[in-house]
Amino acid sequence: MTAALHKEITNTIARVKVDPTYIAYSALANLTDSAPDLGFPQYRISILRNFTIEPLIPVIKGEAMRLGVAADVRLSDFDAIAESVFNSQSQIYSHDPHLMIMAQWPETWSPALTNKFLTLTPEQIDDEVERVVETTRNLIQAIRSNSTAPLIINNFLLPTTRTLGILDFQSESHQTHVILRLNRALLEMSKSFPDVYWIDLMSLFSRVGYDNAVDQRNWHIARAPLSKNVLVPLGLEYAKFIRALSGKTRKCLVLDCDNTLWGGVIGEDGLDGIKLGQTHPGSSFVTFQQECLNLYNRGVILALCSKNNEADVLDVFKNHPDTILKEHHFATWQVNWDDKATNIRRIADELNIDIDSLVFVDDNAFECDWVRSQLPQVEVIHLPKEPFHYRRDLISPGFFDSLAFSSEDKKRSAMYVSDNQRKLRMMAATSLNDYLVNLNLRAEIGRANKDDLPRISQLTQKTNQFNVTTKRYTEGDIERFFGAPNSDVFFLRLTDRISELGLIGVAIVEYRDTVADIDSLLLSCRALGRGAEEVLLCAIQKSAATRACKKLTGTYLMSKKNMQVSDFYEKHGFTLTEKTPHGTRWELAIEGRPLPNYPNWINVLEINT
Amino acid sequence: MAVKEDKLKKVLATIFKIDAAGIDDNTSVDTVERWDSLNHLNLILALESEFEISFTEEQTIEIMNYPLIKMVLKEHGVEFQ
Repeated sequence: MTAALHKEITNTIARVKVDPTYIAYSALANLTDSAPDLGFPQYRISILRNFTIEPLIPVIKGEAMRLGVAADVRLSDFDAIAESVFNSQSQIYSHDPHLMIMAQWPETWSPALTNKFLTLTPEQIDDEVERVVETTRNLIQAIRSNSTAPLIINNFLLPTTRTLGILDFQSESHQTHVILRLNRALLEMSKSFPDVYWIDLMSLFSRVGYDNAVDQRNWHIARAPLSKNVLVPLGLEYAKFIRALSGKTRKCLVLDCDNTLWGGVIGEDGLDGIKLGQTHPGSSFVTFQQECLNLYNRGVILALCSKNNEADVLDVFKNHPDTILKEHHFATWQVNWDDKATNIRRIADELNIDIDSLVFVDDNAFECDWVRSQLPQVEVIHLPKEPFHYRRDLISPGFFDSLAFSSEDKKRSAMYVSDNQRKLRMMAATSLNDYLVNLNLRAEIGRANKDDLPRISQLTQKTNQFNVTTKRYTEGDIERFFGAPNSDVFFLRLTDRISELGLIGVAIVEYRDTVADIDSLLLSCRALGRGAEEVLLCAIQKSAATRACKKLTGTYLMSKKNMQVSDFYEKHGFTLTEKTPHGTRWELAIEGRPLPNYPNWINVLEINT
Repeated sequence: MAVKEDKLKKVLATIFKIDAAGIDDNTSVDTVERWDSLNHLNLILALESEFEISFTEEQTIEIMNYPLIKMVLKEHGVEFQ
């Protein structure tokens, strides 16, 4: 029974990837109820709403299944947002959600600004803007005093029946600019609360087209304004937040070459014959390459997977006058005549990232099919016939969208490139210690300060392998550890001769009486192999000693991806105290012990300790 | 356009969580447990999405059983094999 169900879920997910229609998502959503029995973790969502949002739910649930979680959605009573929010006993809160959504249809949220704009005096307009901002502030405040779950709110749509027609945009006091001003004021207000995110309805409805997206018929009959054309795009947009919040943002883009990064086949057409340039049809490929470069600058790792002679492909990136991408943008490549599934596995291994962090892009249906069947965890984008649509199809799924963007992200891709250079050098080193000393490692360790918290939260959400407990924390969560007197948040920054890695290590410690318990200890996967974890442990032990703690305790919670740290505590001299089906507990007596020294191959600077 | 009737039955089966094989001319709002107003709304949206059509207001209220659905779809140029 279970095997058959598992197969049905796998097949339905595969179908939705190829044919993402409303009914395909509904079919996948129907399987959600039986999914927890098959090991899909539950993902509880509470939705506050003032309109009929029910048709959207199957898309959110279906996409959640595709992301590997079984969504359990609870809706507030229709148009009872305030009643639910201000009642701490409300089922919205007792649902104990992982995510909260507040969906307010603009016409109900402010009938005056949307439908009756011209009846208002300038003073009344300002008052109404303030009223909307303040009532929303009160709602968020009440939500925050009852729940720490991340909250997604939508913004106002641009008016389509602008009250002054072509005159509307010409003045800041007219409707269009008032709505833009209102959205900015709402954003500003929301910044005083942790973990509040905006779903940009204004932008999404612009893309779909207001008349396409709003079903006036259903709005008037059933207060259900979402049309058949916007259900899938909007459901997917909400699901992008689920992806980002549960650490499933994809990390690496694997690109085919022929008819993907240029028109034609390099091996046959040669450098002069491929289509890549300022005019049609090469201009579409230049646009696509530029978009790949934009992803690189967002911190996405680029790789190549092409059936070609390596020299021919590299020739393009080195010598073609119109290539946007250069060899140094790619962290690695598999350009040979082996099958692409094998090559993609090699890429994941080389970069030391999980196979489910990859997105594969190819114009060839056969290749896409093959990879989909061999590596179902890889997201595959089969490019359409028209190269001028390549960019849209690459970006709109939002596989790489995350909810934080730091300077670390900008540097990450370059880091993966230089990491590979480092690996090549590593093979030439005589011994590991020689090599490490040769790397000239410099570390900064200490208690985090406020500016570090977003990056620290991001690391807890993204790090899967070197992570002893895999606890996912929002910025609000980290702030709580940071602010509490009996807990510490440690950060670790690393630089070596080749690259500046930035903030790549985190430890969270809680002190109870004479025990210092390690709640979290994690390292970004690109910082591995340098003994950076020793620095973290050392700092923890020193801190515990200054608080006169007698022992350190730590937990290893087993996950699919963190097998490599199952013996982390054992390797560092801890004794096993407990073994459960979920993992192990460890302790280390530190009373009377001399303070530990940092590893001799790392130059450590203590900050704020 | 000529389509297989299976495609239509699949829509109802998915929306109402019933077995496609059991759908026939007796299938209606009176015989299907989950055919309530909210699922009727989902049905309308699913049919419009699958067959790329738009019902009139009257038609959305009319299509309360399987034969009527087929009849209204036919008016939109959807013929069943």
